[in-house]
Order: sequence, then C-alpha cells, then structure tokens
Amino acid sequence: MKKQQAILEKDKKKESSEEVVLELQDLNKSFDDNHVLKHFSMKLYKGENLVVMGKSGSGKSVMIKCLVGLMEADSGKIIVMHHDITSLNQESLDILRADIGFLFQGSALYDSMTVRENLEFPLRHHYKKLGKNVNTETLVIEALKNVGLAHTLDLMPAELSGGMQRRVALARTLILQPKIILYDEPTSGLDPITAKEIIILMQDIQKKYNTSSLIITHDVDCARVIADRMILLIDGTNYAEGTFEELSASKDPKVKAFFKQ
Amino acid sequence: MKNTNSQKIRLGLFVIIGTTLFVLAVYLIGQKQNMFQNTFTISAYFQNVNGLQKGNNVRYSGINIGTVKNIVMTNDSTIKVDMNIEEGIIAHIKKNAIATIGSDGLVGNMIVNIVPGKGTDEVIADGDIIASYSKIGADDILSTLSVSSENAAILTSDLIKITDAMIKGKGTLAVLLNDTIMAKELRQSVTNLKVASRDASNTISEINQIITSLKTNDNTVLGMLLNDSVSGQNLKVIVSNLEASSKQIQNVIANIDTTIVDFNSGDGAYNYIVNDTTLVNSLQSTLKNINEGTDKFNQNMEALKHNFLIRGYFRKLEKQKEKEERKKQQ
Amino acid sequence: MEIGELTYFTIRFFKEVFRRPYEFKEFLRQCYSIGNRSLLLVGITGFIIGLVLTLQTRPTLMEFGAVSWMPSMVGISIVREIGPMITALVCAGKIGSGIGAELGSMRVTEQIDAMEVSGTNPFKYLVVTRVMATTLMIPLLVIFGDAIALYGSYLVEHLKGDVSFALYFNQVFDSLEFGDIVPATVKSFFFGLAIGLVGCFKGYYCKKGTAGVGIAANSAVVFTSLLLFIIDFIAVFVADIFYDL
Repeated sequence: MKKQQAILEKDKKKESSEEVVLELQDLNKSFDDNHVLKHFSMKLYKGENLVVMGKSGSGKSVMIKCLVGLMEADSGKIIVMHHDITSLNQESLDILRADIGFLFQGSALYDSMTVRENLEFPLRHHYKKLGKNVNTETLVIEALKNVGLAHTLDLMPAELSGGMQRRVALARTLILQPKIILYDEPTSGLDPITAKEIIILMQDIQKKYNTSSLIITHDVDCARVIADRMILLIDGTNYAEGTFEELSASKDPKVKAFFKQ
Repeated sequence: MKNTNSQKIRLGLFVIIGTTLFVLAVYLIGQKQNMFQNTFTISAYFQNVNGLQKGNNVRYSGINIGTVKNIVMTNDSTIKVDMNIEEGIIAHIKKNAIATIGSDGLVGNMIVNIVPGKGTDEVIADGDIIASYSKIGADDILSTLSVSSENAAILTSDLIKITDAMIKGKGTLAVLLNDTIMAKELRQSVTNLKVASRDASNTISEINQIITSLKTNDNTVLGMLLNDSVSGQNLKVIVSNLEASSKQIQNVIANIDTTIVDFNSGDGAYNYIVNDTTLVNSLQSTLKNINEGTDKFNQNMEALKHNFLIRGYFRKLEKQKEKEERKKQQ
Repeated sequence: MEIGELTYFTIRFFKEVFRRPYEFKEFLRQCYSIGNRSLLLVGITGFIIGLVLTLQTRPTLMEFGAVSWMPSMVGISIVREIGPMITALVCAGKIGSGIGAELGSMRVTEQIDAMEVSGTNPFKYLVVTRVMATTLMIPLLVIFGDAIALYGSYLVEHLKGDVSFALYFNQVFDSLEFGDIVPATVKSFFFGLAIGLVGCFKGYYCKKGTAGVGIAANSAVVFTSLLLFIIDFIAVFVADIFYDL
C-alpha cells in the first residue's frame, strides 16, 4: 500500500514537472550478425528508480554502456540531461560524465590502488565540478562513511570481501554527487543478505541525494524492492513496461517467465 | 602507492647510476677516439693502404697518438690519408717523419705507424704532409738478401781463416792430397763459388743499371719510390754488401787457388796433417757450408730475378736473348 | 589484421603522448615498477651471460692463442648484440607479460571502463605511461645489463687468466666505438617501445573472461619476442648504413 502511494506521488511529480533526465530513442546496436538492441527506446524521469530487466545477453549491459559513451550505438539518439551524447566531443562528454555515476558489475575497483586512491581517482579530473577548495580527504572519508566502511581507507581492494568491494565501488560512484546513477547488476555475485544490504544502501542514497537511478538486473528480488517502474528488455526491444505489480501480474508468457521462480 | 618517497629515491638512483654508466662509457670511448681532445691534422700519400679504415689508430714510435680521419683517392694511384693527431704530441713530430701502414698483431687492425726521420728538422704543423713508405713485395726479398749476404760474409771470413792456416803450412796437405774425393769437392766448391760470384757481380751490375735508369727517370712511380723511400736506400745498402761479399769470395777463391797450387807442387807439412784430424773435419764441414751457402745465394738471386720490380728487366733480357737466338737460327 | 590494429594503436599512442594532461605520477610509478623491479632479474641474467660467454669462448681462443682478445671480443658482442637482446627478451617475459595480464584483467573487470567513466582517459593513464616507462627504462636496464655482463666476463678472465680490472676494461673500451654503442642504445629504445606497445595492445584489447587474460599475457610475450628479433634485424641493417661497419 505504502509503495503504491509513493508511486502515485511520484507519478504526480512526473505529471507536474515531467523532467526527463535520460532518454533513449530508437537505439540500435549489433555485433556482427547479432542484433543486440533493436529500436530500443526508454525514458528516465528525475528522482525515480527504473529497473531494466532482461535475460543474460539480452543487451542490458550494452545499453547501459552506450548511455555513458563506453560503446557507440549503431544508430539512435541518447539524450542525457538535454545533451545528445553521440554528438558530444570528448571534453564535454567527460564533463557530462561527472553527473552520471556508474556502478560496475564486478565493482571494478582498481586493484593496484588502495581504497583511498580508488575514491580519489574520479576526483582527479572532476574536482572542478565540486569547486576548487574541496578537501579530497574529507570527501573520501564522508563517502566511505555513507557506505559504512570508513575503516578500510588504506586497505587494498583484494583485502575486502565482495560485499565490501561493492560498497566501496558505490562510494566511489557517489563521491562526485552524480544526478543519475547507473547500476549494472548491483547484486550480482553477492549472497542474498549482502545483496539486500546493497539494495537498502541504494535506497538510502536515492533518498538522501534525490538521484535518478537506472538499475539493470536479472534479480527479481532486487527489482521488487527498488523498482518504481520496470522495463522488460526482451529480444533487444522494450517488450513491456510498468510497475512491478503490473508486470508480475501480466499474462504474457514471455513476461511471466521472469517472475516464475 | 605505499612508500612513494623511498620508491622515488630508488628510481632516482636507478636512473642516475644508469645514466652515469652510459655517459662514462661514451666518455671512455670518446677518449680512445680522441673526440674530446684538441687535435691537428696531418696527411700522407700512399699507393696502397692495405685495408686501412677510418678510425684506425695512428702510432708514433709505438704510442697511440691519434686516429685516421679520412681516406680519399686523389687520383688513380694515390690515396691521401688524413690523420687526427693529439695536440700534445705535436712538438715531437718533425717534418721529415715517415708514415707507413702496418698491422696491429698477426690478424689485427691496420694501423698507421709514423717513424721519426733521420736527422733533425722543423716541428710539424697542422695540415702538413709527411713522406710515406708503402710496403711492397720487394721489401721482403731484399731483407732476406741482406741476411744471406751477411751469411756469405761470415762464411768467407771462416774460409779466410782456414786458408790462412793452410798458407802458413799448418794445413792438412797430405790428407788432402791422398783424399781425392775431398780434393774434388774442394774444386767443385771453388767452381761453385766462382759461378756464384760471377752471378752475383752480374746481378749487382744489373741492379746498378736498373737503379741508374730509375734515377734518370725520376717521374716514374718506381723512380719516386726508390729515390725517396727507405726501400731505395735499403736496396743500395744491400747492393754494396753484395759487392763487398763477392769481392771477399773472389779473395777466397784466389787463396784456395794458391793452396791448390801448393798442393800440386808437393810442399807442406805431412806430419801436421796426418795428426790433425779435427782440422780435416772442420774443413769438410766448412766446404759443405760453402756449398749450401752458394746454393742459397743462387736461390736468392733467382728470387731477385722473380721479384716484380726487377722481373721486367730480366724478362727483357730473356726476350732479347730469344730474339738473338731466333736471328741466329734464321 | 593484427599488425594493422597494432599500427593504429601505435599511431594513437604517438598522438596521445604529447597531449595534455600528462600522467606524470603514474609514469614515475610505472618507471619504478618496470625499471627497479626488473633490475635484479636483468642483473642476474647479464652476469650469467657474461660468465658463460667468456667460459665458452675461452677454449676456442686458447686454441688460437688469442685469449688476450677476450675483452674486446666479449665487449663488442655484449654491447652490440647480446646485452640489448637478452635484456629485452627477459623484459619481454617479465614486463610484457605483466602489462598484458594487468591491462587484460583491468579490461575484463571493467576497470578500464570505470576509468573512462570517471573522466580519466585510460589510454593516457594506462597505456601512455607504461609505454613511455618501458621506452625509457629498457635502455637503462640494457646499460646495467651490459655493465654487469662485462663484470661477469671480467671475473672469469681475472680468475683464469689473471687479468687486472684496468687492463680488462681498457681493452674493452679500446675495441668499442661509437658505431657499437650508439646503434645499440637507439635499438634498445625501440625494444622498450615494442615491449610496452605490444603488452599494452594485447591487454587493452583483451577478450572477455579469465582465459582472455591468459591469452593476452601469453601472446604479449610471444609477439614481443618475435618483434624484438625483427627490430634487431632492421637495426643491424640501419646501423650498417649509418656506420659502414
């Protein structure tokens, strides 16, 4: 009930502002003969948690990488905060990227650096965004406190557990205070309890900084907890869209297959 | 990035030591090649540089004093060799110094040897050209010739002693008289000696002719060589040696002739000779030596004939003989 | 196909080298891990090569009665060829495979993507620094290798032939010319460039999965070694033209 209310509230917000922070239009991407994305379109509204679900190899990761310019789409438009990133040069793309946080599937901590250096790394180039008088030390400690790992400051990533690594990675994503956070399988490779911790953390962050989140997952539990809205990515297209409840109640066999467990 | 400072220090040390080693190596090599010293240049002309290359060492009386800077053909038979010489050595090289090309060791690099000239002269200056001496095949033969003429001189002095002893009546006359083989040998060797000395005097006169003809034709390469270079001097010395030794040989022959005459007249002290077997033995070995010596002498003469310098001359002679014979036949 | 990609990679490297910002700190870190960390290995290899070369050549030279030529012979062969080549091959094994594996695993675990997203050009940060470090450190390592190999050779001569330190090195430097040391040094810069470029190339375009990392590291070594010999071959030709050996 509560959740539905929240969604309703958000829907109202959307109706009033209708602020789209991220939009994909007619995105196509293929590797040789394998057409991963076919005319994929979606919108991410400000302050919402959008979950994109799909089978492995359905092009979720490809889609999210196209969003930040790590991959180039064959055709289509990617509009992030009113900028079409396909037409941006490297410099403006970097500036834009400071507003997009990206949590990678395997945490992707730099394993030759300590936790502190990992967190400082994004600041090297994006410090301008935060103002010149920022003390990186306090920023790093604050970000680590947010994920409850302030004591790991001088450890190497290899010395941390998978869950801790994921949290450090989250802290690294958050240190630039992004407006949009992209999560690539945030719970993959973690046990259910740790996964839950991460999900709670994600929700906290969302509340605290009022960020918009795009979460890519195939984990139904994760989607149930966090999703304001869901998109099912099947055969490279936007197959179904709606709240978790709407989709889980769907009669479509392909949609049903996701929730049957 | 733990211990960044100590890493930086170690990296710094690594780089500094490495660079120092490199610079040191470059410096040492450069020093060997006189790159960092003030040098001056002298040149010499050669007919043949025997594979000398740029960068080969230049030695003065055996000390390395510089390197070959450049080798250029100036015309179809002359090669100009420029040499970088250390400035410090300049005071010791005189203008009459002579450059030769030799090799460093049996199979070593070629080097330029600068030999001080005879007598005194002005100190050399930058850009000077010094005389050169090209090694040519004649050299070797001439040097062996001088050795054999020395041998001949020793031989003849021995012979003189023996013949002196014979003349004074100490000789081994009876033995010699009875021992016909010995007498024959003696005669044989005497005739050999005669032939040899005749050959020698012929050759000498021929060589003299060549030299005089060369002297008159100063413009020819050979003339230049013989007049200017050490080999010419050597040749002259050897020729005079040869003349001397052949004169000695003639003396010996005369002595022996008189002894033989003495033999025939029946004079002499029989008793001495009968008892003095050692003398006989030594005489026999001396005769053998004389034979060998004359053989060698003849060989040398042959070699001299084949030497390219003089070969042409002998060939001419042969050709002339052939022509004359042909004329006679016709 | 692969050569074309490597060429493109090389061109990209030269484009990025001179473009700001310079990742100087990372460059120093790579210099340290490439230079200092390989010194021991290069030293040991060089020492043994110097020792063995001298021991092996000794009997032959003895036969000719030319043992006194040992310093010049060993000196020239080490400085011209053996030093640079052995050092480069050892470094191809150690550094090339290391870079290949490191960048490969960074690619596989999306660390390279993470870098790009956080506004750092990973090509500059990872590739340019490493290639620059190998290019500058390999010649230094070669110099160390040469020096240690010559010292090893000297030890044998000293023990077996009672040659003094001064005489040995005097003879070595007597026989060496700039025509030996300059091409060898220039050559080792290219060796370093090849080791860095191929290692980075293989790692940077590593295929997905742990197997991809293994392949990247392995093929980095194989390809680098092959390339080293080709460069050496070309270098000898070029040196021939310049120095008229």
